[in-house]
Amino acid sequence: MTENARDDAGAAAGTTGGYEIPEETPAAGSLDRDTLTAEQQFAVEEQLFRLADDEFVHAERLTEWQIYAPTLESDLALANVAQDEFGHARLWYDLLQELGYTEAECIWEKPADEWTHSTLVERPFDDDGWGNAVVRGYLYDVAERIRLEALVETSYAPLADRVGKALSEEEYHREHAANWLDRLAEDDEARERLDAAVDELFPHALSLFAPGPNEEAILEAGVRRETLADMRAEWLDTVVPYLESLGLTVPEPDAADRPADRGRDGSHTDAWAELYEAFTATHDEIDFDRPARLRAEEAE
Amino acid sequence: MPANAPLGGGADPDEGAASAAREAGGEACAYTSYEDGEAPESYPKTGEGAEGVEADVWAALREVEDPEMPVSVVDLGLIYDVTVEEDGRCTVEMTLTYTGCPAKDMLTNDVRCAAETAPGVHEAEVRIRYTPEWNVNMVTSAGREDLREFGLSV
Repeated sequence: MTENARDDAGAAAGTTGGYEIPEETPAAGSLDRDTLTAEQQFAVEEQLFRLADDEFVHAERLTEWQIYAPTLESDLALANVAQDEFGHARLWYDLLQELGYTEAECIWEKPADEWTHSTLVERPFDDDGWGNAVVRGYLYDVAERIRLEALVETSYAPLADRVGKALSEEEYHREHAANWLDRLAEDDEARERLDAAVDELFPHALSLFAPGPNEEAILEAGVRRETLADMRAEWLDTVVPYLESLGLTVPEPDAADRPADRGRDGSHTDAWAELYEAFTATHDEIDFDRPARLRAEEAE
Repeated sequence: MPANAPLGGGADPDEGAASAAREAGGEACAYTSYEDGEAPESYPKTGEGAEGVEADVWAALREVEDPEMPVSVVDLGLIYDVTVEEDGRCTVEMTLTYTGCPAKDMLTNDVRCAAETAPGVHEAEVRIRYTPEWNVNMVTSAGREDLREFGLSV
C-alpha cells in the first residue's frame, strides 16, 4: 500500500466510510425480535452496542468527578448525568439481553478489545481537569442528540419504544455543559485550558462517527435513518461555530491528527486497559455462582 | 435522587436548568420538569373495566408501592397493561419514571411477585416500556392525594 493509499484508507475508516441510505428500507417499527433475519440482527446488535458502550464508559469516567468537581452543585450534577448515562446504557444492554446476551457478556466479562465505544469517552482527564470534563460532555452530548434523533424512526420496534425517553433525559446534559463552557470561556486562563481540551478531545470525538463492520446492514435494515457522514456534518455544523464563538480554536476536522485507535473496531487508546481493569474488578471478585437473593424473591 | 420518582427532588445541573426556568418566568430553583406534557389518551391505566383474573392482578398491583413513596405503582400510572392467558401466564407491561432508576430490578420483581399472588396466575412476566413517556399528569387523583400527604406538591 502506498503512503497515500494508506492515508485514504485511514481517513475513510477514521471518519464515516462511504455509505448511503438505500432507497427501500423496512418501515418504522416494522421489525421485532422474532422477525429479524440474521443480517438484521447483526445490524441491531452493532447499533445497540455502539450506543450502550459509549454511555457506559462515558458514565464510568464521569463518576470520577464526584469528589473533584469545583462546586458541590457540580459534584451532584456530574453524578446525576452519570446516573442518567448508566440508565441509558441499561436501556440498550437490556435490549441486547432480549436478543440472548447476558449482562455479564455485555459488560463485565466482555473482553476489552470487543468494546466498541468511541475513544472520546475512555480518555483520562489529565491536567486539563474540569475544562476537559466540560468540553467532553459538550462534544458527546451534541452527538448523542443527533444519533438518537436518527433512531426515532428506527425499523426496530423495541428500540423505537425507548428513544424518546432517552432523548428527553439528555437535554439538560447539553444545557449543563454549554452553561459551564460559557462561564469558563470568559476567563483567559480557563479558556486556555478549554483550548487544550478541545485540541486533545476533538480528534477522539470524530471517532464517534466511525463505522463498524455492519454499518451497511444498519442502513439496509433501517435500524438507523441517517448516515454517519450526515450525522458528522450536522455535529460539526453545531459544535464548531459554537466553540469558535467562545474564542476557542477548533482543529480542522479533515486535517486533525486521528488517533490510530478507532474505538468502534475494538481498538482503544492506552487509557482503556486501566479503566477496564478498574470497573470489572469487583465483578471478578464476587462469587456469582451464589448470588444474593432479592427481598421479594425470598417472600415468594 | 429518589429511587424511582424524582418529583421535585432531583439534583439539577447547576445553573443551566435554573436559568432556563428563570427565563421562562418560573421559580429560581428548577427541577427536572415532570410538569410538561399531558397524560396520553387512555392513560393512566388503572384496571378499570378489567374482569376475572386480570382484575385480580390489578388489585394485587395496587398493593405494590414505589420504593421511596407510599404510593401504589398503579396510582403513579406506571402500569401500562395487564394480560392473562388462559393457561395462567400473565404479562404486566409497566414503565419507570426515570431510566436511571436504581430500583428497577427490585420494583419489577415486586410487581412480578404481586401478580403471581392473584389466584389463577400461574407465572408472571414484567416487560418495561418507555412509550408513552411517563409524566406527572399520569398520576391518578388518588395518587396525587397520597403524594400530597407524603409532602410532595403535585
